[in-house]
Amino acid sequence: MDRRDAGREEKTMHKRNMFKMAAAAAVLTLTAGTAFAQEIKIGFNGDISASPSAQSGQAGVLGLQAAIDDLNAAGGLLGRRLSLVVRDDLSQPPRSIQNMSDLIDNERVSMIIGPTNSGNALAWRHIPNQKRIPVIGFSGSATDITKPMAAGADNYMFRVSMVDRPQVAALMAYVKRNPASKVVGFMFETTGYGQGGLRDMQEIAAMHGIQPAATERFAVNDTDMTSQLNKLKAAGVDTLVVWAQGAPLGHLLRSMEKINYFPRLLTSWAADNKSFYDAAGPQLAERAIFLRTVTDERSARQQQLFDRVSPRLASTSSFPFAAHAYDGMMLYAAAVRQAGTIDGPKVREALESLQGRYDGIMKAYERPFSRTEREGLLASDFRWTHWKDGRLVNYGDDVVRSLRQEDFRM
Amino acid sequence: MSATYLQALLSGLSVGGIYALIALSFSITFTTTKTLNFSQGEFVSFGAFVGLSVLLLLSGTFDFNAVPADASAGLKFPAAVVTAGVLVGVVGIFIFLLAVRPFAGKPGMSWVMSTIGFGIILQSLGLVVWGPAVVNVPAPFGEGVIRIFGAGVRSQELVVLVSAIVIMLVFDQIMRRSLLGKAMRAVAFSPQVASLMGINVTLVMVGAFVMSGVLAGFAGVMVAPISTASLFMGLGFSLKAFAGAIIGGLNNPRGCIFGGFMLGVIESFVGLWHSEWREISVFVLIILVLAVRPDGLFGARTVDKV
Repeated sequence: MDRRDAGREEKTMHKRNMFKMAAAAAVLTLTAGTAFAQEIKIGFNGDISASPSAQSGQAGVLGLQAAIDDLNAAGGLLGRRLSLVVRDDLSQPPRSIQNMSDLIDNERVSMIIGPTNSGNALAWRHIPNQKRIPVIGFSGSATDITKPMAAGADNYMFRVSMVDRPQVAALMAYVKRNPASKVVGFMFETTGYGQGGLRDMQEIAAMHGIQPAATERFAVNDTDMTSQLNKLKAAGVDTLVVWAQGAPLGHLLRSMEKINYFPRLLTSWAADNKSFYDAAGPQLAERAIFLRTVTDERSARQQQLFDRVSPRLASTSSFPFAAHAYDGMMLYAAAVRQAGTIDGPKVREALESLQGRYDGIMKAYERPFSRTEREGLLASDFRWTHWKDGRLVNYGDDVVRSLRQEDFRM
Repeated sequence: MSATYLQALLSGLSVGGIYALIALSFSITFTTTKTLNFSQGEFVSFGAFVGLSVLLLLSGTFDFNAVPADASAGLKFPAAVVTAGVLVGVVGIFIFLLAVRPFAGKPGMSWVMSTIGFGIILQSLGLVVWGPAVVNVPAPFGEGVIRIFGAGVRSQELVVLVSAIVIMLVFDQIMRRSLLGKAMRAVAFSPQVASLMGINVTLVMVGAFVMSGVLAGFAGVMVAPISTASLFMGLGFSLKAFAGAIIGGLNNPRGCIFGGFMLGVIESFVGLWHSEWREISVFVLIILVLAVRPDGLFGARTVDKV
């Protein structure tokens, strides 16, 4: 072979190699593409950075990630791996709505967990209902979030979290049953959260025939509520039911101390927040009684998850959100297995008729949802709670022990 | 019953002291540059967290979830106040150079947006550094309730009340007696004439933003033990403080202080009557004042000669 031939041979070899490489690359892309398509995407849409409730959102992401890790370790779902797509809504409704469309239309997620704040869920719940993508709430507790868009319409909103209405029902049952509660007062914060709670309070009080002697309000940024409290004191209020977020609840207790007036205090579950404990201080914080889904007296399964996520929790009081998100994801996985597909409408139907039993972090779920029941956790799953020596512990007194199912009116 | 009214007065004055401090910081920039820093609330929050960081560092920790009970004891609190004042004062230079100077004196209201934008940047930076948590700040003189004829008040509320009055008096003297104060008033009156008289107008304007920043930082640390520190705490206070400044007269520092105190007391007494009227009463008052005296209760009327 002369040099010229050798050169030609070399060129052909080169060409062949190029072709081989291109073919290999194409095959690789193709396999990567199919692997990509086979992955099931789970979305998270909620505040994880921008408001005091962001800690709850961060905990939710941790719990959700833990559930996805567990599912992937057990071989994924329908033989496909799961991946998590997180979108921060900064607590802003417009941003949250935009995230929702982005997750569903661009990322093509099959389910969404979120949001952190009730207001954002109320702003976008029409979107997953139109696009037929199941959403499981882990934090927002507003009663209306899981209501269908129209009576009898298919509903894609589910929730594994605290709900305002049964909380209020329990507090009102306490007021009704407590022989020492003779004069009742209501207080609320002038935000959507506070006003929603007030409406629930007034409606359920009316069912019991409880007539509040006074209803007072305060702003979320207020640090001194002595004027309103002095009015309640003058009206002889001995039991006060308050709907507000953590920090203002703490300031309310500090104002009570200023005028040395301490009625029996029943509050929204925001009192479990570290912001409440810090604002009120360790002694005053112990005066509030409220409901919560998990206390610091954890079950073995709860302790397991707690040990996993707590090193990365900004505040241990936000642990319930991790547990809610974990269970929400696992219930979705059970529904997908039952339906044999991730198709939205079929998974919704499966969620509404889950077979068998799932031993979750919060409880053992048996047929948690139906066409009308959207709440994974019910009033009977809530715990009476108060602060004791810096821990959230179960609260019990004669009134709590005397409560019967029929006392909970909704 | 008299204890109830005394309580309302004391509570009103203590909240009013916070409004007054921040209202004064609004007034300083307005009187010299005819612009306002609409991110004053973020400056207050930023100052609170700078102060809190100093308190923690001096206590040998940086754990925002566990602020030691004695974090504010001794000279730590004054050190935090001074550091926050200085640092936020420096931020004041930046907002002037970046967000105000390019737009001041030009037609349009670009500086409104640019100062709001600066505040958003400052808050976002704060969120990156300190996170969104609400942090409890111990008061330097303890958390106990001090009783005065049956009404209760906390030590830090008295501290804020007294320091607001002291700062007002000192500031008043500076503005009226010192060369700097006279220069500031000259610039406020007419930048062109002041410049012709050999006053470095830009320097005076920078000085105004620095002073405003110092006050905001100072207010942030002072208020934090009352309100608990959060990067969102400043907005609510600064809105009310701005209302107080409008009522008192934006171009009169004494009026701003008075407006702040007045607002606090009005809120407190209206709360005693019908709490739902509290916010309404504040803004009804603003409309009334502006209708009768457009420059505020104590504001000097400026007449533009054409």
